[in-house]
Amino acid sequence: MSNHITTDLLVDYVHHELAPEEDALVHAHLGECAGCRREVENESALTDALRSAAAAEETDMPSLVAARVWETIRSARPSPLGRLAVLLRPAVAVPLAAALVIGAYVAVPLSHGGPAPTIDAGYYFEQHAAAQVQYPLAERGATLQPADRAALEDDSPPAQLAEQSNVGVATVDFISAVR
Amino acid sequence: MSRRAFATALPVAAAFFLALGSTNTRAASPADPALVLLRASLGAPKVVSYVGQLETVRFSSSRATATIVRVEHRAPSLTRRWYLAPESLYGDYTITRGIATYDFDIKNSRVTISHNPALDEQISSAGNFDRVLANYRAVLGGNDIIAGRATRSVVLINKYTGERAIRVWIDERTHLVLKKEEYHGNGAVASQMRFEGVRYTNAIPDGVFSTDPPSGYAQIAGHDFKMPSTDVGRVIQEAGFAPASPKDLPQGFSLVGGSVATTNGVKTIHLVYSDGLRTISLFENATGAAADFGALRPKTLRFENHDAEYVEDGPTTLLTWREHGVYFALVGDLLRNELVDIAKSVVP
Ligand SMILES: [Zn+2]
Repeated sequence: MSNHITTDLLVDYVHHELAPEEDALVHAHLGECAGCRREVENESALTDALRSAAAAEETDMPSLVAARVWETIRSARPSPLGRLAVLLRPAVAVPLAAALVIGAYVAVPLSHGGPAPTIDAGYYFEQHAAAQVQYPLAERGATLQPADRAALEDDSPPAQLAEQSNVGVATVDFISAVR
Repeated sequence: MSRRAFATALPVAAAFFLALGSTNTRAASPADPALVLLRASLGAPKVVSYVGQLETVRFSSSRATATIVRVEHRAPSLTRRWYLAPESLYGDYTITRGIATYDFDIKNSRVTISHNPALDEQISSAGNFDRVLANYRAVLGGNDIIAGRATRSVVLINKYTGERAIRVWIDERTHLVLKKEEYHGNGAVASQMRFEGVRYTNAIPDGVFSTDPPSGYAQIAGHDFKMPSTDVGRVIQEAGFAPASPKDLPQGFSLVGGSVATTNGVKTIHLVYSDGLRTISLFENATGAAADFGALRPKTLRFENHDAEYVEDGPTTLLTWREHGVYFALVGDLLRNELVDIAKSVVP
């Protein structure tokens, strides 16, 4: 049983946001896996830094925190972690609200006489981002790809995916749990 | 923690008409140096070409998410962004030509092409800038060196709450925004972007902006986003049901547009509210189609008698709930409690 814990689960674990059963599973795994323990330490450290910065009511992003975030990102080892990840689309001059995968919107097929259709959460994020790019300075045009294209198609066994997921504290939101 | 001032929003129809005409600018004089600089920065990408490395961090309530992108921009409207981080995106790139965006997914050998007319509206739309000035005070900040360039910063302060909402560092020579920080209503940083390096050049080869897919790439039709319409009658007619609108919005916000789209067979109305800087989207469908969070891990919260679910994408929060057979989804770069306050005031 070499399934590592996904970064998402680890982050939630650090923030005490897991259901008791999940929490227990993660706790048990950490007892026997140095790699995942290291990632937990990283996540905890960043969280602490962010918290203390917030407590100090600093409004500019503290340079130390920023520096650590960048350092982590730059030193991140190649890993398929992000294959499960959101696509953040930062924009500069001309904000970008790109749609990537039309398939995500219809990920839940209309089944005949089955359950009611649903709307992909990513649809809401994208439409919102698309509408807001017209506003001055509004390059929050990050486009979320929740049911990420890779996650949707990924066939790799979870163990292999999680294997290299220790990229540290540059946690990517919305990483899916072990699939 | 500052309590946001709330204003009573008008019913949908009335608000539409008002929103259109009423961007009254009792703003500072046009010669105000902060405004001059800000206005120049909005127009800069239309005239300045550059190559740079851009780093962005977005904060959700407990996490930081970052990306690093190499940007090549040729004025007025050609941009290529090449992802260096996170690893999942490494090598992927997007090319924006006017309102068209080509998204090259190198791992899956495909390119997705989408169109968003709003990409072209941003700079030309003077009305939007007026709306910013109606709700925010621009204050000149200090001088800083960013990416080796001399910059001057401008802070936009919300006129109703006194909180600063955004700070931009503008290149003194080219007026390009080289750094930007956005703040939540409680002063916390919501996101930060900055150029790590920038070089102004007119010598970017045409090939950089080529949208020809490499051989073997599948071409996928992405979205053709619609500009939110300001014709409320038509939008409601198209929706086939009367949407509910929030009675309380943060002060300065008003309805600025709406659209109807059918996704997964579900007709959904999208109402857009803005104070010129920030935007809130309210989606409604009367079909009973709930949100599918897929691989996301929504959290639950209760307000009034509703079991709501929410997820965060950096500082952007999506909150969904159901009332009287209508499914609502509210999206905005606001704190969760701010969104909940708005949601409470949406009564079908
Ligand atoms: Zn492990």
